[in-house]
Amino acid sequence: MTLFTKRLCSACQEIKNSFDLEALGIKVEELGPDNPDALAHLAWHELVEDAQKNLPILVLNDSSAITDMLEIKNLLMRLSRKKK
Amino acid sequence: MGSVLKLKKDSSSETTDMALFVHRSDEALDSWNRERIVEALIRETCIDHDTARAISKEVEEIIMASGISTITAPLIRELVDAKLIERGLERARKMHTRLGVPLFDVDQMITHPNKENANVPHGPEATNLTLAESIKKEYALLNVFSREVGEAHMHGTIHLHDLGFIDRPYCSGQSLEYLKKFGLNLPNSLAMAKPAKHPEVLLAHMVKFGAALQSNFAGAIGWDAVNLFFAPYLVGMTDREMKQLAQMLIFEFSQQAVARGGQAIFTDINLYWEVPKHFADVPAIGPGGEYTGKTYAEYEKEAQRFVWQLFEVFKEGDGAGRPFFFPKPLVHITDKFFQTPGHLSFLNHICDVAAEKGNTYFVFDRGDTAKISECCRLSFKLERSDLEDAKEPWRMRYSAIQNVTLNLPRLSFMAKRDDTRLFDKIADIMELAVRAHLEKRSFIERLLSHEESGPLTLLNMDTDGTPYLRLNRSTYLIGMVGLNELTQYHTGEEMHESTEATRFGLKVIAHMKLLADHFSRRFGMRFVLEQTPAESTAHRFARLDLTYYPDEASQVVKGNPAQGEVYYTNSTLYNVSAPMNPIHRVKYEGRFHPLIEAGALTHIWLGEARPSAPSLANFVIKTFNRTKNDQIAFSPEFTCCNDCGKLDRGIHDRCTYCKSRNVDGITRITGYFTRISSWNKGKLGELKDRYRNHEYL
Ligand SMILES: [Zn+2]
Repeated sequence: MTLFTKRLCSACQEIKNSFDLEALGIKVEELGPDNPDALAHLAWHELVEDAQKNLPILVLNDSSAITDMLEIKNLLMRLSRKKK
Repeated sequence: MGSVLKLKKDSSSETTDMALFVHRSDEALDSWNRERIVEALIRETCIDHDTARAISKEVEEIIMASGISTITAPLIRELVDAKLIERGLERARKMHTRLGVPLFDVDQMITHPNKENANVPHGPEATNLTLAESIKKEYALLNVFSREVGEAHMHGTIHLHDLGFIDRPYCSGQSLEYLKKFGLNLPNSLAMAKPAKHPEVLLAHMVKFGAALQSNFAGAIGWDAVNLFFAPYLVGMTDREMKQLAQMLIFEFSQQAVARGGQAIFTDINLYWEVPKHFADVPAIGPGGEYTGKTYAEYEKEAQRFVWQLFEVFKEGDGAGRPFFFPKPLVHITDKFFQTPGHLSFLNHICDVAAEKGNTYFVFDRGDTAKISECCRLSFKLERSDLEDAKEPWRMRYSAIQNVTLNLPRLSFMAKRDDTRLFDKIADIMELAVRAHLEKRSFIERLLSHEESGPLTLLNMDTDGTPYLRLNRSTYLIGMVGLNELTQYHTGEEMHESTEATRFGLKVIAHMKLLADHFSRRFGMRFVLEQTPAESTAHRFARLDLTYYPDEASQVVKGNPAQGEVYYTNSTLYNVSAPMNPIHRVKYEGRFHPLIEAGALTHIWLGEARPSAPSLANFVIKTFNRTKNDQIAFSPEFTCCNDCGKLDRGIHDRCTYCKSRNVDGITRITGYFTRISSWNKGKLGELKDRYRNHEYL
């Protein structure tokens, strides 16, 4: 799974602070002017335009994407509980 | 300065007795006077008087000693230049350069067709254009661009498009509203026409203005929402009358040999089934330039009836049933399109035209995106300030100033399969492209600064309070050729061969996109990526790389090297010969499109297949819903017989009807349809390779 974020995005920060993403096996891609890899990865998942409107975006292992903040949180909570 | 010198020389005489006659350009004879060399040197190069005088004497001695009986002014100039070089005065020599065309080349141009641009027919007017272009090209390389930029172009590291049109911006998009509101009032024109009262007159204004714009821009002229902006003039018209108008419009823009160098005006018309959101509440302008008291939303029916008739005409083709080459109809498919009644039957109608004649371009504006598309692939995304302009649509004028294309495969050859070096090379070449744009901009600014007395008065006219060319809102295009071959050389696989290869290609384009953004911030200009049509560039780059990097280039170049039919794959496209399911091609190529802001396109080559309208409609809907693809076009192929005039599907070497071998093929070269006999060798190589989707469509 990949979480697409960017700097100065409070919602992205909130997710990063609330969950141990690494432990959940989630790779964080921080989009920014110096990160072509993250942008290329985003384009691969066909999410360039979505990311212009709204971040963070969570891409699941089946390549489906969740853009709704609440849905992302709920999913990560469920995953965290499972982990424990 | 005169063009021919007639030299009469008595072999026994001294220099001072030499009787030379200068045949001046005003057809008068002047006697030889070496002071003219001195004057020219001082006027053009600012060298000191003594040096100039010494050079003039030395040149006179050479001429005298040579014993020649006729001498031309260019030859004298060359002799002077040789003396400047001897003295190490390189800068002065450059300033003293004479631009011209060798006799042999002029003879070739006059006798044989120009294959660089298939949109230029062959004829005396076209030759004039080519000759003028060749001088302006040289002028541009010597006088507009820095040495580094000029040399990069000549070596084929980058390609500066339309150098022969150096003194104009690249392309222009606008709406009919400008003409409807202000009439046709061109600078330097004797008669001013008030806003049109009848649709035929509006059309005449559109055609005239299109021609005027063609004289001031190098490339395409695009018109926004043509059917909608005609609509207030069409109230109460019968279908028959509407079809008549549609015919007039299409024939006017498709007739060759009416304009610049016999070149058809490269016209794009943007069309909508729905009333686009950004125009729905805008007060409509009607006959006489007056507001009608209604909004454009209230003209939906007239706009729909007109666009329907336009496609009736496209479906019939020209008098011989051939597809119209211009204007190119671009239909915008949006969220609102699918909510607008009648959209399915309209979609079937335009898909029928796509299958039958290939004209239809499908432009996908998903979500809040709004665009004007033109020039093969170029589109202008409307930003917030533009949408503000939409309330007064005559303000909506878009221009790209120049197009610079990068030779991507060469960068991979230079990087020798080292990632760091490759991305470093990409940064270098992007910087060079930006430099080329800065140089072109300052040249155009200089021409514009002459205002009324300058060459670009049309672009300076400020009927609505701002100059027609809104330079500060213009874009600067950076195109690319051969991403597929870069990837192939660097990773060992072509993009269609593996996920990793495609992802590597995406990384290259993402890198370029971020660099374009970086330079945009730094210079306060809009640098955007574009899929270059590369009608001749894809061939030129491949040919030059086979010369400069033969070992590397021969591993990846496409086409048939034995016949010189070599090319690189256009822009970010996949190998044209890869036997891919077309919907996969549309989806995979579409992954690149959101990074290429100035427009991107996927071709679906049909060959002689004639798919049903519903199957193409289904394909279009899938493309809208399941991909990020920006624009698609289906391209059938035809053979037209030069003897019996009949048209058949597919490319054949003889006429199906009269068996004549005097036939020509017709299909899409890049962004438009044209006769195959006019294609360059690279494109001919590509045509043979194209995968024609027979199994799927
Ligand atoms: Zn025939």
